[in-house]
Order: sequence, then C-alpha cells, then structure tokens
Amino acid sequence: MGQKTEISNLLANLPRLGAGLTYHEPFLADLLQKQPEVDFLEVHGDRYLDAPPARMDELAMLAEHFTVIPHFTGLSLGSAEGLDAVYLENVAHLIKQLKSPWWSEHIGYTRANGILLGQPAPLPFTKEGIEVMTRNIVTARRAIAAPLILENVFGPLVWPGSEMDPARFIGEVLGFGGVGLLLDVADLFTYAPGLGIDPIKLLDRLPLDRVVQVHFSSSHDSQADSSESRVQPVAEGVWQLLNAVVTRAPVRCLCLELNDNPPPLGDALKEVERARTVGRQYKRWN
Amino acid sequence: MELIRQQKLVVQLCTDHALLEEFLAAPAQVTTREGLTVGAESLAKLNPGQLRQFARLLRMRRLGEAGTALPLTRRALGHRFAELFTAYALQNPPPGKRLGQDAIAFVNYLLQSNPTKPLNPVWLMSLASYEAARVEVEWLGQRKLLVRKFPHALRRLLTAFEADGVPKGDFSGWTLAVWCSSSSGRQPRHWLW
Repeated sequence: MGQKTEISNLLANLPRLGAGLTYHEPFLADLLQKQPEVDFLEVHGDRYLDAPPARMDELAMLAEHFTVIPHFTGLSLGSAEGLDAVYLENVAHLIKQLKSPWWSEHIGYTRANGILLGQPAPLPFTKEGIEVMTRNIVTARRAIAAPLILENVFGPLVWPGSEMDPARFIGEVLGFGGVGLLLDVADLFTYAPGLGIDPIKLLDRLPLDRVVQVHFSSSHDSQADSSESRVQPVAEGVWQLLNAVVTRAPVRCLCLELNDNPPPLGDALKEVERARTVGRQYKRWN
Repeated sequence: MELIRQQKLVVQLCTDHALLEEFLAAPAQVTTREGLTVGAESLAKLNPGQLRQFARLLRMRRLGEAGTALPLTRRALGHRFAELFTAYALQNPPPGKRLGQDAIAFVNYLLQSNPTKPLNPVWLMSLASYEAARVEVEWLGQRKLLVRKFPHALRRLLTAFEADGVPKGDFSGWTLAVWCSSSSGRQPRHWLW
C-alpha cells in the first residue's frame, strides 16, 4: 500500500465530530449545562503541560463529558533548530492521557533561540522549510501514535525569496509528513490577499482531501485590534469560505476558535450551531 | 542551516522593539551583526509593515493572556492595563514557556518601574501582587508554601470586587496571605488574614 493510500485510509477512519469550540475556563459551568449544544471541545494543549493538579483535574472532567482535541502552538514543528525533546515528551503524555482521536499543531514556528512566541510565525515557502517541517513531523510522529493534523499559517509575515506558492508548500509538507490538514479559514480570509491570491483560488489549490478539521473565527486582524473588548462575530467572508470548504472537503469537524477574552458562551454557541447546520446541509454528519 | 539564524532574528525583531526599529533603519547592519550570510539579503527585504503587524499581534496575544491571569488588576486599571502592558512588552520578550510567567514578570515590572509614581487606585499594586502570587502558586505550582504580606485590606477589597465596577475607597489595613499545597497535589489551600 502506498503512503498516500495509507494516509487517506487513516484520515477516512477518523470520527465525524460535528461542531465545537475552543474551551476557556469561564465556560466550564455553562458548558456542562449545555453539553448537547457542543459536539467536541478543543483545548490549548500547551496550557496543560506541566500544569498544576487542579487544572489537570478540570481537564479530566471535561474529557469525561466531551471529546477533547488538544491544539498546540509551543511544539514549534517549523523550528529549524529542531524540537524541544522535553516539550515533545510532555505533549505525548498529555495526548495519551486524553485519548483524543487526533491532535494538532501548525505549519509554522513559535520558538527560536529560547524565546517562545505563543503565536505561530509562518515559514518561508522553500525546500528548506519543507525539510525542517518533515524532519520535525517524523520525530513527533515517532513519539505520538494519535494522528496529527497541521494548521496553515499564511501571515501576517511573508518571507521574501519564496521558491513555490503557498498551496504547493502546504501540499508537500502534508505529503512528506503523512499528516492531515487543519484548515484555518480566517487565516486564509485575512492573509491570502497579502500573498497576492484570492482566498477561494488558494483554497482550490490546497490538498482538500486532507482536511480533517476547520478553524473559523473573526478575522485575525480584528482579533488583534479588539483584545480589550469582546471578539467580533465571524465575518460573512469567513462563513463563505467555511461553506466552500465543507462543500469540497471531507471535514470531520468545525471549530469556533476563540482566543483570550472570549465572548459569552451563549453568543459563541449561536455560531457553533450555524456551523453545525452547514455540516449537516452537506451531509458531513447527522 | 541559514534558516536557524533567520528564524532567530525574526523572533528577536518581533519581541524586541528597539532591535526592530534599528533593523528597519539599517537592515544590513543588523543582519551582518547577527551572522547572517546567504539569507541576509532576503531577510532585509521583509516588509516593515508586516513585521510591525506581527510584533503587535504577539503583544496582543501576551496582553490577552496577562489579562486572564490578572483579571481584577485588569478591571481596576481599565484601558491603562493595555497601555502599561504594552510599555512592558516593548522592552521585554516573553520570559518563559509557561502560562502565567509573563503576567508575573509584568507585575514585577510595575513594582520596579513605579516606586515613586504609585498607580491608582492606591491599593492597585497590592492587588496586582496578590494576583501574581496566586498565579505563581495555582498556575505554575512552583511553591508548596507561599506567605505574602500586603499593605491593604485585601479580603474587603476582593469582596468589593464581587459587585460590578471598581471598588471605591482606600482599603487601608494589612493582609497576610498564605497558600499551602498538600502532598496529594490538589488545589492549594489559601487563607487571608
């Protein structure tokens, strides 16, 4: 069996989760009341590495009630200096504890020279960028049995000297790494124009058969501007992209990505319900 | 591996405001000093607006996390929380890998940078130091026992925060705060006197 077929089979067997959102601690009590309205939770995995017991107890309790998908930024699969072995060990331990159907990181880097950014920086679209990602993905996959999916990072920085277009770069990283795609449609909506490409055209050039999960949120720029106020509702342009992805790709779940200072849970759940309806409309789940 | 040096420089540029401004004024000078060879010319072409935007995005991310760690301090300072945190972040890269370390470093920055210009309300630094101590124990779990003394009546102040808005008054008095983690590793016990 070829590598491509193996990966396709692996991704095809992943569960269809539905619509969910990023977990934040203030949501806890309400979430337990509104469990039927949330098909899964995504957690910021980095926050539970080496965390105090009370936070781990809370995570264990969440995992009893919901499917929990850990999403990481700190492993930094795009770091040319290689992976932090202790960090990787901690990530592997957490994923094993959660028994998650998959886990996610970024096609980018957050760590260099001892500084952890907390926000992924894009990679140059070069052969060296692909080699770095592939090497680190192989190391991570040796340590972690659960399937890995990777999220696109198109901006805001664009490295000069690209050797290929962003869609080919992502396709090669996923292909060589043998992993799925976590497609962030807000990132696509916000930053594709800066790459000189229409978001829909870029979408159509991505390896959509690899899409497992979709992140949707207000555009990344508006989140940056509104950190002291509530995040803005998801823009209609982002909804249009989400619809376009769901019609084209075998998505397993749609996740409302909420950064710090999230809106009230009730507001977030309205957007989750809208996403769930989109998935149902195209028979991605019941 | 030129990419190692390039990534290192991009991270420094986006977390060190002074270096970013120096780079934007004279990119070749900075890339040479940082030892870049093959990729120096390419990196010098980084878009200044995009670099500034990414640096701002990183500060906003850090600001959001600090606000989560120090919720009452943020409420008490209002819009000044963002102003003060931005001033801190422009001079200080993220101090570590763990959530809460930046918030603690920010409170230390406030304590060191404002000794002769106390922040208002008068109890603000007591509140910020209390929240930083709580993060140190409850988030980072670095101490089994932590005892701190504060020059304000924190119990009354925390109770007053249960209502909307920012409490009025000077909340004069003294508080002894104790956190103690049991060997079973459950939530630390906490007392205020």
